Amino acid sequence: MRRRGPKPRVLFTALVFVCLYAPILLVIVFSLNKDAQLLHWEGFTLEWYKQAFNDEAVRKNLGISVQVAVLSTAISLVLAITGGLWYRNATGRARAWFDAMTYSRIVLPEVVFALGLFLLFSELNIGLGVGAIVVGHVVFNSAYATIIMQARFATMSVTLEEAAADLGANRWRVFRRVTLPLLTPAIVVAGLLCLTFSLDDVITSQFLGGTDAQTLPVLVLGKIRLHVTPEVNAIGTGLMLITLLTFLIAGLITLLRPTGAGGMLGLGRKAAE
Amino acid sequence: MSGRLRGLGRQLLALPSVGWTALFFWAPLVLLVVYSFAQTDLLTYEIKYDWTLSNYGNVFQGLYLDAIVRSLILSVASTIACLLIGFPVAYTIARTPGRGQLILLFGVMVPFWTSFIVRTYGIFNLIGDSGPLASLLQTLGIIGDDGLHLLFTPLGVAIGITYSYLPLMILPLYVALERIDPALLDAANDLGAAPHRVMRRVILPLAKPGIAAGCILVGIPATGEYVIPQILGGGKTLMIGNVVADQFLSIGDYPFGAALAIVLTAIVMIALVLLRRGERRPVSA
Repeated sequence: MRRRGPKPRVLFTALVFVCLYAPILLVIVFSLNKDAQLLHWEGFTLEWYKQAFNDEAVRKNLGISVQVAVLSTAISLVLAITGGLWYRNATGRARAWFDAMTYSRIVLPEVVFALGLFLLFSELNIGLGVGAIVVGHVVFNSAYATIIMQARFATMSVTLEEAAADLGANRWRVFRRVTLPLLTPAIVVAGLLCLTFSLDDVITSQFLGGTDAQTLPVLVLGKIRLHVTPEVNAIGTGLMLITLLTFLIAGLITLLRPTGAGGMLGLGRKAAE
Repeated sequence: MSGRLRGLGRQLLALPSVGWTALFFWAPLVLLVVYSFAQTDLLTYEIKYDWTLSNYGNVFQGLYLDAIVRSLILSVASTIACLLIGFPVAYTIARTPGRGQLILLFGVMVPFWTSFIVRTYGIFNLIGDSGPLASLLQTLGIIGDDGLHLLFTPLGVAIGITYSYLPLMILPLYVALERIDPALLDAANDLGAAPHRVMRRVILPLAKPGIAAGCILVGIPATGEYVIPQILGGGKTLMIGNVVADQFLSIGDYPFGAALAIVLTAIVMIALVLLRRGERRPVSA
């Protein structure tokens, strides 16, 4: 191989990294910019953060976002854990069906199943709102959580559980004292991913929120479309920090304890070495 | 625990997951299919189930056909752009020694995990008519004073999709490229193959599963994209996802919206089957 300065592909990679971060940095810089027109840098201010913080709608919608995220994550984890326990002892054909059901929830465009749910709820006269959004988020979140949990089950030996059972522990006790602790890293990572997906979701939240329940990303979308105010940058920066934080925690856990969740984060294979 | 949970009890464990999927995923899809053959009375907004194909006939006409074709073009173009941009990046990361590799990989993933809508808004700011990109290009003399006309154009939407989904292309490419044994490349070099020949005859065939996986991860969600055209298309560059949503949320013609949704699903499924074929056949020179 020739060695004359950095190779073109290395320079190109550096340029791509600049492009990946530029839009994000721009939002952060704008959120601190005094210029309300956002055309030039006119000095540092925290005014937009103050405005966002004092905005009644922002606070209410953040509350709804968190509520939806926590509820949908909890339900998704229950579905993933019970599904994973079943999967361990299932036959090959049953597993194939189960996998198809899991992956179809991820592959199908979100617009399609969110509108299908919209239709279902209107057909059954079920009102839209927080509950409807939670139902929708669980549809895709439980699929991601299931994949992570299955990866963990696949690498888990049954030896400890069998030993506990041989020593006289009943089924529930084996599950609670042996299986659950073994699953904990996967549960934490799956949970954090579900929280992130839920907090980040726009489509399902918008279609199923109805008139009363608006999540923060939906509010941001509305603000962007209707009228660009500098406040959006501050809200956006806050939203980024929340989702990034959950990702960083999940990443850290994956690095410290391989869970099979690495496939999702793109870190696992290295971490497992 | 295996063997201790008896028959029915063990099967019950599948119930929460299967039940939820049946009720809130398959039932809505079946409902969409049923609705797509029904008709709306435009005066009373009542739904008549008369098993007509007329909704599907209307899908492939005028405005709606435009949106379908536009979605396909934007999705294919963005996927190709992701591949062309992502390949050198993934290759560079895969050839970076030691800890640097992990750091670069992390660097690719961080933007992907920051809020999707905020990133799209960042692009909105960046490519705006008088945004930083326009100023930069004006300073460099690449464009004139009349500004950059990217926002609210198909090209602007394509840039947004490419930007948002690029990490999803880089990851599988990296996984495929990292697996290639450097000894293979040395062998090809030693045997006198020119670098472009090594790329074409050794690296690309081995990277094929990664390329197919990347195209699935980018192309499939891009076809049904809703948020990016909303923000960067400004209501002008509509994709099929937007047209479907409009039928439900503002126009109120559920049967026609359902037919559009089924067509979108069919397109995605066909694309998926075609791409999976490429994924399964790893090596073919």
